[in-house]
Amino acid sequence: MRQWKKLLMIGLTVALGASIATAMLNVMLDVGDKINEELKTYGSNITVLPQSEAVMNKLYDVENGEEKNEYIKESQLGELLTIFWANNITDFAPLTDTEVSFGGKNVKLVGSWFDHHLEFVKKGTTYQRDTGIINLRSWWDIKDGKWLDEQKLDSANYAMIGAELAKEQNIKAGDTITVNSEKGSQTLKVTGIFESGDDEDQCIYTPLGVAQKLTGSDGMFKKAEVSAITSPDDELAVKAAKNPSLLSGDEYDLWYCTAYVSSICFQIQEAIPEASASAVRQIADSEGKILEKTQLLMSLITLMSLIGATLGISNLVTSGVMERSQELALLKAVGATNGQVTGLILTEIIATAIVGAGAGYFMGYAFAQIIGQTVFSSSIEMSGMVAFIVIVLIIAVTLVGSIPAIRMLLRLRPSEVLHGGH
Amino acid sequence: MNKKQRMFIRMVLASLVRRRSRMIVALLAIVVGATILSGLGMIYYDVPRQMSSQFRSYGANIIFTPSGDESISDRELKSGISFISQEELEGYTPYRYENSQIHNIPVTLAGIDFGSVLKTSPYWHINGSMPSGDGETLVGAKMAESLGLSVGDSVSVINSFQMTADTDRTNIPDYEITKDPETGEEYCDHSLDLKVSGILETGGSEEEYIYVTMKDISYLTLTERGYDIVEVSVASMQDTLKSYTEKISSGVSEISAKLVKRVTASESTVLTKLESLVFIVTLVVLALTMICVATTMMAVIAERRKEIGLRKALGALNSSIIMEFMCEGLVLGAVGGILGSVLGYYFADLVSMNVFSSSITFRPLLIPITIIASVLVTGLACLIPIKSAVDVDPALVLKGE
Repeated sequence: MRQWKKLLMIGLTVALGASIATAMLNVMLDVGDKINEELKTYGSNITVLPQSEAVMNKLYDVENGEEKNEYIKESQLGELLTIFWANNITDFAPLTDTEVSFGGKNVKLVGSWFDHHLEFVKKGTTYQRDTGIINLRSWWDIKDGKWLDEQKLDSANYAMIGAELAKEQNIKAGDTITVNSEKGSQTLKVTGIFESGDDEDQCIYTPLGVAQKLTGSDGMFKKAEVSAITSPDDELAVKAAKNPSLLSGDEYDLWYCTAYVSSICFQIQEAIPEASASAVRQIADSEGKILEKTQLLMSLITLMSLIGATLGISNLVTSGVMERSQELALLKAVGATNGQVTGLILTEIIATAIVGAGAGYFMGYAFAQIIGQTVFSSSIEMSGMVAFIVIVLIIAVTLVGSIPAIRMLLRLRPSEVLHGGH
Repeated sequence: MNKKQRMFIRMVLASLVRRRSRMIVALLAIVVGATILSGLGMIYYDVPRQMSSQFRSYGANIIFTPSGDESISDRELKSGISFISQEELEGYTPYRYENSQIHNIPVTLAGIDFGSVLKTSPYWHINGSMPSGDGETLVGAKMAESLGLSVGDSVSVINSFQMTADTDRTNIPDYEITKDPETGEEYCDHSLDLKVSGILETGGSEEEYIYVTMKDISYLTLTERGYDIVEVSVASMQDTLKSYTEKISSGVSEISAKLVKRVTASESTVLTKLESLVFIVTLVVLALTMICVATTMMAVIAERRKEIGLRKALGALNSSIIMEFMCEGLVLGAVGGILGSVLGYYFADLVSMNVFSSSITFRPLLIPITIIASVLVTGLACLIPIKSAVDVDPALVLKGE
């Protein structure tokens, strides 16, 4: 107890080391999910199309002069909320595009959900989700006006217009426009002008209902974009992508229960049989690559700080034990055996280490949350495994740190030490 | 004076050498701290650059389109590209689109350079192989499905048009020309035979095209012309990209250069997050490590209270004791700092090689920063226990209280 100051110092260092380990391990384990959420700004990574919507259809139909596209039922889209990996689906939206005449030329009009409130009832369970292209087009710059807010507006007759088209036709937010198609005409109020930096700058975006009226396809849509948090592809995923039925039973289960983009696509097809879902390679592949790099980077930084923390702790333990040579020599002089002295030292140090590690774990928790909040504005999930790793690591480190000191103690000759020589 | 100085140096050195085991402990702590400081510092500065090239897997982030009705010529393209720094330029691919027919079905052909296209579209999945040259083609998956094509098949693309007096007949075999017996007008079904080398899967609109070489597309259409669109991939941040597009658009009047907003805007959001992640992590780890170094130093010094008491009892001045101990600390700090900055560089390089497979940029500025920081931390850490030791009555210290 007399040594409390020394022990406090050791405890403090152990706590600091433990908090580095806790914070870094937790951030490392959670960084994949966090970065994955950030990567959602690139837009959807899965496209859902009607089963047989293929170029051939379009091509032959154009030849015959009549357009006969196939659609998926809008009511089916709620099935996405029921699949195994539903929680990994961050956003989705149906899209129906059509050519309309507007301002003396043909323009592409796209109907979709903006911030749609979806309620889907299946087998007595109600699934709810707010979803739409507000999140799937995060790179849009609203130049004038604001996003079309489906939930607040009284009717569906609103539109958003691409910047180039708006400039060409001299349209501002608040203006009213009229678009015509073969099936009729619609008067729409412009809520905002967006700049997307691609060919959508020439498009008109409206709620899905407007496009359905203009194409005569009530309750249907042509294509859906789905944004899902996925695991990077590995060998199994590549094998499964070719043909899931070639997998062995165990492999199939593992593949099905891992959030690969291919297994999510497969589950979407199971839920909506008339649809075919495929990965958007540009997004899905890049996500995988960036995730992998970030995780590797974080784990190496974690490793580095762990090494630093453990060296720091074992260092202090060594010096802490060494400086007590006199006291320990005295114990030996009055008849204590080497085993007793070692036991005494180890008990003391391990007790301090456990207290320090406990305190350090909570400090580390706080640091992890600070990192999560400042960088991602969301909390870092704490893994129980980390607590275990940290305790084991700290005890091991303090023990290893005591070895040189204890070896020295065992060699101590009480008379020499007490006499004052080192 | 000279003698006194020599004695001082001797005392400092002797203390460092004689008390070897304690000094190694202290030095080790400082080296670890300095290694973490310089290593994490270098990683932090290099992350944006390294990550930026990883983000190029999203493909092109600048596109050139013709500003008028004319296509972009080779010369215009070269002068546009010359505005972009060679180091940052990952690659560029010009595209030329033409409409044509296969089995009477209209198709869109895209002329590209198969050698460079993966630089701007690294996400292309090809079943089969990339065409190696003229006479071979890469077919988009949707197109292949609707035309019933698979790898190894042969296909002929037909360009039908009415012959006029201006038509260049050198490349048209006679059997491709049919003459309307009534009107005397001549029609041509100019054909190009291609072997399907690969099927392209992207999950995007690229699957609806048939890709051939520029030479083949010129042969089929019987016209030489420039490019409709050029995709450019530049490893750089949004602001730099923006200035490139402005410079190019105003420097080469035939080209209008635009940012691919989906890629650039999203990249800067994600990169900013990543950067601040590494920054905060560096900060937290550094702060904790520095405290660790300080506690170790304090422990090492506090152990020598007896020595301080003895010196005071022998008549040493407080200031000379502080001077000597500080000097010891500073020497340790400096040596630890130098060792640490070297080790830190190797560590950062190791991380960089493992994660990004490219070596880290050496930042000379970090060496003095690391040395100064370790000297400061050691100095401060020594000062506190020395002060308290010096203030104590020597008799009490020597007695062992």
